[in-house]
Amino acid sequence: MKETSKERVEQLVDVIMKKCLWQFHSRTWDREKQNENIILKTTQILCDEPVVKETPEEKCYWVDAVWLANAYKEKFPWVTEIDKEDLKQIMRELKERLDFLLITGSLNAELTDPLY
Amino acid sequence: MPYHLFKCSECIPERGKHAVIKGPGETLADALPLGYLNTIPGSISERGCAYCGAKHVIGTPMKDVIHMSHGPVGCTYDTWQTKRYLSDNDNFQLKYTYATDMKEKHIIFGAEKMLKQNIIEAFEAFPAIKRMTIYQTCASALIGDDINAVANKVMKEMPDVDIFVCNSPGFGGPSQSGGHHKINIAWINQKVGTVEPETTSEYMINYVGEYNIQGDQEVMQDYFKRMGIQVLSTFTGNGSYDDLRAMHRAHLNVLECARSAEYICNELRVRYGIPRLDIDGFGFEPLSSSLKKVAMFFGIEERAQAIIDEETARWKPELEWYKARLAGKKVCLWPGGSKLWHWANCIHEEMGVDVVSVYTKFGHQGDMEKGISRCEEGALAIDDPNELEGMEAMEMLEPDIIFTGKRPGEVAKKVRVPYLNAHAYHNGPWKGFEGWVRFARDVYNGIYSPIHKLSLLDISKDEIPVDRGFETQRMLSDVHLSEEIKNSTELREYTGGYDLLKGLKERVYPEFPPKANVALPAV
Ligand code: SF4
Repeated sequence: MKETSKERVEQLVDVIMKKCLWQFHSRTWDREKQNENIILKTTQILCDEPVVKETPEEKCYWVDAVWLANAYKEKFPWVTEIDKEDLKQIMRELKERLDFLLITGSLNAELTDPLY
Repeated sequence: MPYHLFKCSECIPERGKHAVIKGPGETLADALPLGYLNTIPGSISERGCAYCGAKHVIGTPMKDVIHMSHGPVGCTYDTWQTKRYLSDNDNFQLKYTYATDMKEKHIIFGAEKMLKQNIIEAFEAFPAIKRMTIYQTCASALIGDDINAVANKVMKEMPDVDIFVCNSPGFGGPSQSGGHHKINIAWINQKVGTVEPETTSEYMINYVGEYNIQGDQEVMQDYFKRMGIQVLSTFTGNGSYDDLRAMHRAHLNVLECARSAEYICNELRVRYGIPRLDIDGFGFEPLSSSLKKVAMFFGIEERAQAIIDEETARWKPELEWYKARLAGKKVCLWPGGSKLWHWANCIHEEMGVDVVSVYTKFGHQGDMEKGISRCEEGALAIDDPNELEGMEAMEMLEPDIIFTGKRPGEVAKKVRVPYLNAHAYHNGPWKGFEGWVRFARDVYNGIYSPIHKLSLLDISKDEIPVDRGFETQRMLSDVHLSEEIKNSTELREYTGGYDLLKGLKERVYPEFPPKANVALPAV
């Protein structure tokens, strides 16, 4: 049976939560940057679009994105089968869900500490 | 209800917000234990102090340094040698410990003069060592001794020595974690950027948050060297003081224990533009991913792949031997800070055990977020547990083994729950491919040791069976195994040697021609 897009988003979230560490940086602004850049680059890789990786910072986001894109392709055949626009929509929802779980809905009281 | 109040803590109701059971379908936004708060009075915590966090965890693994505590001898003694962070200079930093031996009279009259004498005496006693770290303690902080001023005076008088001052008294935070933070920041403020490194490769990393427990750092360094990557510095296991002063020249910070060392990575990123890549050195799959990511950053992925293929082929059949025998065993993963998330998922997937509880003594809420995310539903997550809660959790969960420190570990033993030392290891190193098999072997030996059954017999009154021999581990572990697994010719027990580090020391590393077409990240 075909999963709903919500179920698909949860599948993608689960891989990040179980296998990755980049989403758990210690401050809100840090997490926003991580989510933004790595999900953007993962989406670009999955949609065969060019990815900018000129600076060390971009390169670092890119390596996490390559890993994630490969994991998604390997675990979920639908990632390569569905229309690219639909995939982009799912990735947008994934980013929203991550932002909620890790930032706006997070119970971690340290996220707003102004210092490291 | 996701939050869990232990029966033994009903008289300390604030504890109710420090434990959570991961319920089906629940997320981090539903419940998260409080963390990194002062221990509630009445709760007998298992934490260490901020001085201990600074010295014992992060400072002392630096190998070519005299580690001097400015305070009473007790602070020093309790942070000496109880963690097995080896070094390749004959364990200099483990063999000796130094204290100014502060007494009541110094509290009244000050101890700066005595500190200066001690510093000079220590340098004279060990003339080959030219570097020192001085650790403040509660006593020297409370009387206001100016350690920096004394250190500067000595450095003027002895121009060939260099001294780092770590002002992290015991009361400088709710737990040892406060000390981790302070020493990270002190190091980058005082020392980073004061030495230019000798470079031997076009790819340079700092390996951060790695303490060389039983040789972990040497195992990981071996992989990096095989890829042609120079480990400019390790913060701090087996790390050299002067190498760590040159951290600003790395292209990438590879961060292992984010709990204890993310601060310096974050600062290096902000001040020097060096990116931070968080990795896992434990478990075949996470380690493979980590090596690949580091290599990919430099455009040398094929070198990582070659190592992964070779190591996996060599060690996977041995890991699988243990996995078949550990499947379904219940584990409490009760370390200090970072191993709850390093291990929670990969011990389940790669050793087949079920993590029924995770706890952290000094972790922050961020560590709980990682740990809870990585363990399965139903697990009990506890922040800063007290001894009674640990006992109650063991009664409730009936684990087959717990991974923890020696204080709670010895308590567990008394109720016949085997434990492995999660901080200092049993037969480590546990990092790397072979290391992971050694960990599996330790888990197996812990769970299936015949002593657990034998110790139930009281020779003063019980009848001792004399018609059969003792049961061996294999008899206990293989009883429910299928014939196919029992007789498998592919799976095998650990076949490595006693000391895996010896082989690493003898290895000759390949030389790689420079990759002219790879644009190196400028720092
Ligand atoms: S709390 Fe203070 S007195 Fe106690 S060991 Fe730590 S530094 Fe020493």
